[in-house]
Amino acid sequence: MALSILGVALGVAVVVGIDLANSSARTAFRLSTETVTGRATHAIVPGGGLLQDDTYRQLRTETGFRNAAPVLEGYTRAGAETGPVLQILGIDPLAEEPFRSYTGGPQGNLDLGAFMGPSLTGLISRSTADRLGIQSGASLALYREGKTSTIVILDVMDPEPGFSEASLTNLLIVDIATAQSLLNAPGQLSRIDLILNEDGRAAQLEKLDRVLPSGARIEPASTRSSTLDQMTQAFSLNLTAMSLLAMVVGMFLIYNTMTFSVVQRRSLIGRLRGIGVTAREISGLILAEAAVVGLIGSTIGMVSGIFLGHVLVDLVTRSINDLYFTVRIQELNLSWLGLGKGLLVGMGATVLAAFAPAREATRAIPSTVLRRSEDETRIETHGGLLRGIGFFLALLGALILWMSGSSIALSYVGILFIILAAALWIPSFANIGSRALRPLMGRFFGIVGRMAASGIHHSLSRSAVAIAALTVAVAATSGVGIMVDSFRTTVDTWLRYSLEADIYVSPPGMVFRRNDATIDTQVERQIRAMDGVAETYSVRTARVQIEGRMTDMVVTEPRNRELEPGRYKKRSSYDHREAMVSRDVIMVSEPYAFRYNTDVGDSLQVMTASGPRTFEVGAIYYDYASDLGVVQMARSRYETHFTDRYVSGLAIYAADGVDIDELIDNLKSATADGQGLLIRSNRSLRQASLDVFDQTFTVTAVLRLLTILVAFIGVLTALMALQLERARELSVLRANGMTPGQVQRMVTTQTGLMGLLSGLLSVPLGLLLAWLLIFVINQRSFGWTLQFDVDLMVLFQAVLLAVIAALLAGWIPGRSMSRMNATEALRFE
Amino acid sequence: MRRLILLLLLLSAAGCTTPPDAEESDDTLNLAEAMGGDTLGYARAVGPQPFDFPTDFGAHPTFKTEWWYFTGNLWSGDKRRFGYEFTVFRSALRPPDSLARHSEWSTNQLYMGHFSLADPETGTFHAHERFSRGAAGLAGAASPPFRVWLEDWSMETVAADPSSLFPLQLQVEADGVGIDLMLDATNPIVLQGERGWDPKGDGNGNASYYFSFTRIETKGTITLPSGRFNVEGSSWKDHEWSTSALGKDEVGWDWFALQLDDGREIMFYQLRREDGSQSPFTGGTLVEADGSYRHITRNEVKLQVDGTWESPVSGAIYPSGWTLSLPGEDLELHVTPVMQNQELNVSVRYFEGAVDIEGTSNGQPIAGVGYVELTGYDGSTL
Repeated sequence: MALSILGVALGVAVVVGIDLANSSARTAFRLSTETVTGRATHAIVPGGGLLQDDTYRQLRTETGFRNAAPVLEGYTRAGAETGPVLQILGIDPLAEEPFRSYTGGPQGNLDLGAFMGPSLTGLISRSTADRLGIQSGASLALYREGKTSTIVILDVMDPEPGFSEASLTNLLIVDIATAQSLLNAPGQLSRIDLILNEDGRAAQLEKLDRVLPSGARIEPASTRSSTLDQMTQAFSLNLTAMSLLAMVVGMFLIYNTMTFSVVQRRSLIGRLRGIGVTAREISGLILAEAAVVGLIGSTIGMVSGIFLGHVLVDLVTRSINDLYFTVRIQELNLSWLGLGKGLLVGMGATVLAAFAPAREATRAIPSTVLRRSEDETRIETHGGLLRGIGFFLALLGALILWMSGSSIALSYVGILFIILAAALWIPSFANIGSRALRPLMGRFFGIVGRMAASGIHHSLSRSAVAIAALTVAVAATSGVGIMVDSFRTTVDTWLRYSLEADIYVSPPGMVFRRNDATIDTQVERQIRAMDGVAETYSVRTARVQIEGRMTDMVVTEPRNRELEPGRYKKRSSYDHREAMVSRDVIMVSEPYAFRYNTDVGDSLQVMTASGPRTFEVGAIYYDYASDLGVVQMARSRYETHFTDRYVSGLAIYAADGVDIDELIDNLKSATADGQGLLIRSNRSLRQASLDVFDQTFTVTAVLRLLTILVAFIGVLTALMALQLERARELSVLRANGMTPGQVQRMVTTQTGLMGLLSGLLSVPLGLLLAWLLIFVINQRSFGWTLQFDVDLMVLFQAVLLAVIAALLAGWIPGRSMSRMNATEALRFE
Repeated sequence: MRRLILLLLLLSAAGCTTPPDAEESDDTLNLAEAMGGDTLGYARAVGPQPFDFPTDFGAHPTFKTEWWYFTGNLWSGDKRRFGYEFTVFRSALRPPDSLARHSEWSTNQLYMGHFSLADPETGTFHAHERFSRGAAGLAGAASPPFRVWLEDWSMETVAADPSSLFPLQLQVEADGVGIDLMLDATNPIVLQGERGWDPKGDGNGNASYYFSFTRIETKGTITLPSGRFNVEGSSWKDHEWSTSALGKDEVGWDWFALQLDDGREIMFYQLRREDGSQSPFTGGTLVEADGSYRHITRNEVKLQVDGTWESPVSGAIYPSGWTLSLPGEDLELHVTPVMQNQELNVSVRYFEGAVDIEGTSNGQPIAGVGYVELTGYDGSTL
């Protein structure tokens, strides 16, 4: 019973943990957006880059539109490079009242003169101040893009009514003037918040239209958080799916444990039936028991899920920070919905899984309760039926996969059907396997080995479930393992040919894969002119509006070199590299082409500084850095159409014969006084990229481990049920002269054999899962082309894992069985 | 002197970044606290100085406070009566410094605008207030050409010669109530106090620079939710800047700007002490019809309150109706608000109201219009 509860608890814990992590990340993000959005209904947002603050002046002084507040946002780190992330919210305290009240209401006592004055000052929340160990009046060092500035904390704030203390976590509120200085954005704003009244909205919009600069638009305040929500949608959906996989494995386990408890009390049930308890009452009893187990297990699961969630939310947040955008709030947000889901899944799965054992128990006719053979005959004769259902499920799964188009959730349903189909086929395969292995086992382990092999075959109704559970669990882990390996190999290969230069220079940014920090123009010039530097190529990461969507754009300088042709997925008939310089031609990344259904030769409308312009897609290139889709433009075109002249990074080719490490040292010492820059060799940048990659898959690794753990407990309970049932059989063997050692050996060998069978069966299933994850799920989630790269070690590990898990699980029942008093066990006979 | 208090109060009001809503707030600001502001580092009005026009029509940011004050009485074609006040206050939040400005937005200058419109026919009094920083083009004051603005509220010269203050245009609009007026002075400038230097209290530098245009021909339109009115009438302009504070025992003042139909104007203020007595720093100016003017001392003026009005909003009891006499001029004036409720419930609560004048001069009947400002009646220590 304890095991059943543990099993349910583990399954529920995984589901709850992932769900909490996902929803916490989302809630935290939504909260931080809502905090800074305040009561704004709309905002004027730039077409790309930032807004000129003159738009705000025009709005106020010329159109007289007063429900408007300027905002300049950005991120920084407190203290040093590794300090906590702070969100900078630059506002005008005098325009804030209708929007946000952080800078104090009528009773506030903010020193406006100090806040708006030339010194850098700001406000943070009480708890953030406590965490940073500072008080109002203290100075706080801020680290951003390799530069340090110092800000004086004027005062600590308390949250607005209706908002939690967490909403202000790591929020630094400053005046627009201070924000422009900290974010190096003189004369610029991120957006202008607006409150538009319901009535007369058309008139208000018309008024606003007059000052709207080209490219800028008015969007509802909700757009921002939903856009960012969409960015991480595929990411969190896949995590959820992984957690459900653990639950599926968990269901096997619950089925096992419930069966175990029925089997354990077979004689009791028989006696109850004998004294006139009806079958219906007994099945009701079993289901009620399952419900109790489910409730207790789910409760423990929910509690452990919360603990697990704590670990996972950290990992999930870190991944989001690396991949998508900066999240300043990171805390577990306990949602009743998430916990409720866990309870529902746990209870539901337990009761569902208990149905079969309950039915089994009710079928027990008092006189035959002690006979087992009926079950086995049934499974033998039902083997065909199971295979039939399995076949049907497999077909159904394939059909769903085929029909589901781009729906990731449906794709997972399809995969689930295929797993279930495989599970239904497993008894037949196990049967064949054990028969085939019998002579082999006989040769190696003698009579004990042969008996062990036939034992599997003879107790198929129990062992099949154990084997199926183990197979599915191991296949899932190896499938995910192969997928991650394939992904990593693909990324590594891609990094190898896309990072061609010797040295890369970039300022430390906030989001690893979307770094739009800038290098000081002076430092850039200095680096370009250094001795030993042969060629330099700049990279600029910018956000522009393409086809009405904010899109990451990489601006590159064409290289005077041949580039690896394998970097393009599809190219136009003309030389697109030349065309990108001479006319309005851009490249799109593979995920971009996938997301927005874009092909070579298509036209894309890019919002430039002088209004919309049409660019032709010259090529689709492989890019694994962003699943959001990136567009590449040549520097010369960018400078023609945009006013921004900054660079986000430099790729350096060393002159012939120059030692790379020495050059890096020289670059470092030459730029030591100014901006702190990351100067990395080709190799170390690649390593850093792979490290981030590995980090993002940490969650996956944790889930794999938990799945295995669930499977292990499943195997343990299944085997215990199995061996318990065989108590009499073993007693007969003991009575016939088998030593306890032999019994132990036989039981252990048998479970080992089951593990081996599971391991072997998991290989094709794991490969199938990997294939589906790579070519269906990944394709439909992100649009990446991944190489299918099977590491034999992963498969070998899977088999080994199955065997070890089985041996361990077999050892405990084996031990107790060998110690069993033969006469005692036989007495019932 | 008169409006100094408002600005000084603003200094403490500046503590609240977003000042209280006119309708909702019941906060009262303590005068003494407001007056306690540090004057160190600011320029002081230490003595009479020749003005440099038109530059001196603009801002004097090294002084702590400054305002440009317009009030006027207007009539539509069908003789419907209106009164307006449009003032822009400037306040330095910190003494001037030489620190580098890293952003156009960085400033120590705060601007506050007050706009009120009295409509005695319907008994409505509209009052609005707004704030902005004096930077990033959002608000400011400059001359020449003369332009004082706070977002889309503005007072701006429209003269062909940019160095000329008049004619100038006032444009204010808030919640469907607005004025768009052309102003042209009919009298020359009046330098208040001693050649424009007006001592406020004991001690060096406790004074302001203060000049007025006491009669300005005014034409334009008034917009109300109910419609638009072409109006004509006369306005009054004050421009004053200072740094120093009032005495500690002073709780408020009564200020009169009176335009008589014989062509004369009178500016008179009395400072009230806590015990109800009149402060010695009380006085005014009498402007003759030819534009010449002379200082009048407190001893030349007798002021008697004839009635009171209790504000239903603040509960403050204001004097409402006075007899102001200058025995030396054989002048006795009965001053009556055109409507009782002309209280501005903004971040600083005060009464600024249009008045009618009837009386006798040398035994002959005389009439006129004007504006009266009353502060320190709302029950606070002010």
